[in-house]
Amino acid sequence: MSDIDRHLTAEEIELWAEGLLPAAGAIHLAQCATCLATAERERQFFLKLARLERLAPSDEFTEKVMEGVRIRAGTESRGR
Amino acid sequence: MRRYERPVFSLLYRMVRDRALAEDLAQETFIKVLNGITSYRAEYKFSSWIFKVANNTAIDYLRKRTVDTLSLDGAPDATTPEARARTALQLGDPGETPLEEVEARELGGAIETAIGRLRPEYRACILLRHVEGYAYEDIASMLDLPLGTVKTYIHRARNELRGYLEDRRA
Repeated sequence: MSDIDRHLTAEEIELWAEGLLPAAGAIHLAQCATCLATAERERQFFLKLARLERLAPSDEFTEKVMEGVRIRAGTESRGR
Repeated sequence: MRRYERPVFSLLYRMVRDRALAEDLAQETFIKVLNGITSYRAEYKFSSWIFKVANNTAIDYLRKRTVDTLSLDGAPDATTPEARARTALQLGDPGETPLEEVEARELGGAIETAIGRLRPEYRACILLRHVEGYAYEDIASMLDLPLGTVKTYIHRARNELRGYLEDRRA
């Protein structure tokens, strides 16, 4: 059986979802409904992860950080 | 700094799953970065450096917490069933505060819950790869791990996430 004829492994399906699958695997995928269905599930799974929201800290966040930087800078300059 | 606020805060929030604590750790991260800006080496990506500091800050906290906190099954020195029940952490406490409600809403989806169940090392790898879109090599450099280890962690994390999501569907 050639590389084009055999079903893809779980690792190869992951590679496909990441756009890293070698050509022989991609050709098989184009011809095999079973592997294509598994690959599509994997793609949906990757999409779900990629769409996780980037959550925001509170509005005072930057101010608090700059306060922390100033306090430390002040402490260090006094220590010299 | 604003450019990195959300990515860094999101990573930390998902690592520790506590909004107030994540904000403290994110502040600590940015203060360390800004105070140490002179030690930044231009051959590394600036974003990689920030995430490295953030991840180390989270891992340090999680290690400390593991030592300090009670187990879900009760304190280690509790020898009787009553003592174990008394000292165990109570999940699903009906007295949820408004902040806890926000957290439950933000991190309450199936995939967020599944991520919360991963080991911290797996969690950091999967978030940096899939949410932030970093290459395996960048993640290895950020987390000070061999490239093969990063690939293994991400592969295992995906398997665990898939397993958890499938169990929920079943």
